[in-house]
Amino acid sequence: MSRHDEDPRLAPLLRRLRELPAELRPPFDWIEFRERAREPQRAIAARIDWRHAAAAATLASVIIAVAVWSRVIDPGAAPRLAESPAGAQWHQPDVAAGWLASLPDEPAIVRVDTRFAVADLEDSIAWMDELITIERTGAAQPARVKALQRERSRLVDSLVRVRYAETLAAELP
Amino acid sequence: MRRFGELPHLKLSNMARLCEIGVPGDVLARAREGDERARAQIYGALAPATFGLIRRLVGVRALAEDLFQDTMIIVYGRLGTFRGEAPLGAWVRQIAVSRCLMHLRSPWHRARLALEQVGGLDGMRLTLPPAPESLDVERALASLSPTARAVVWLYEVEGYSHEEIARTFGRSTSFSKSQLARAHRRLREWFDLQPDREPCTPI
Repeated sequence: MSRHDEDPRLAPLLRRLRELPAELRPPFDWIEFRERAREPQRAIAARIDWRHAAAAATLASVIIAVAVWSRVIDPGAAPRLAESPAGAQWHQPDVAAGWLASLPDEPAIVRVDTRFAVADLEDSIAWMDELITIERTGAAQPARVKALQRERSRLVDSLVRVRYAETLAAELP
Repeated sequence: MRRFGELPHLKLSNMARLCEIGVPGDVLARAREGDERARAQIYGALAPATFGLIRRLVGVRALAEDLFQDTMIIVYGRLGTFRGEAPLGAWVRQIAVSRCLMHLRSPWHRARLALEQVGGLDGMRLTLPPAPESLDVERALASLSPTARAVVWLYEVEGYSHEEIARTFGRSTSFSKSQLARAHRRLREWFDLQPDREPCTPI
């Protein structure tokens, strides 16, 4: 199949390319695939749980950071929020309007440092590397090495995502 | 078109390209109805060529395995929408290529490449299959960028036209042509730099 004016030096290479085996042994057979096809639902559920947990942890960190920061910067700010009208006072328009007017006009952007997350991920990747090395130098079980490599790949993915988020955050005004 | 059921075992010769693999209508109909045996038969017929294609397109084995799994899940999920105008393999190829290119275009992949370029992810490099007779050409292919590798493979091996590649990538035909020209130049340079390699054509 020559589809263009091939360089004579390139032609043998392209021919070899086309002669490469079109089929490779798939990583798993039908039975394992069937099991794996059921897994994503469970994995998605687990991932959502993990994401929720991560979001909750981030939110908690933000709230704590805001609370600490507001006390450091303006010791009067927190009590003013604590003095918000309660119960029957809400029915008095002046009180409610006054309290609303005391709130800041714009939401505050709080930057949370990612260095602990990055350090944790890097430590975990290094740990995976050690485990893989230990497995390979000993009587390695291919399945275990493969599982470790897959886990390492997931950790690297997470690291890439954190780094990407950092890049995006750095571009924010 | 290869006859269904001819190739449950892998051989290094007489292998069909994915787009040439078809399945009989009755097997397809039973698979659509959820018949486990028919589904397993289709898997046996399509999985090796599907994995072969994905492996060539993305290079990294672990990633190819994930994309292969995604592709096959989509194939079985959408089997009812296959209209049978072309061999089933051609339809599966479309899904596999689309999944691979979606990955290549993703920001995660680009960020990973950026990290690789600064030397952070050596462990993620391509792991080559142990086939000595094709190792040099595999290595040459691995020396290309993921996008260039995909363009070369789709054009030179899968028989895509520049227009089809452009459409698949969501780019212009000049993108496809320039990627291919650059890849050819890179391949020539790669071979020029390999003094001890075995010749492509046995002398």
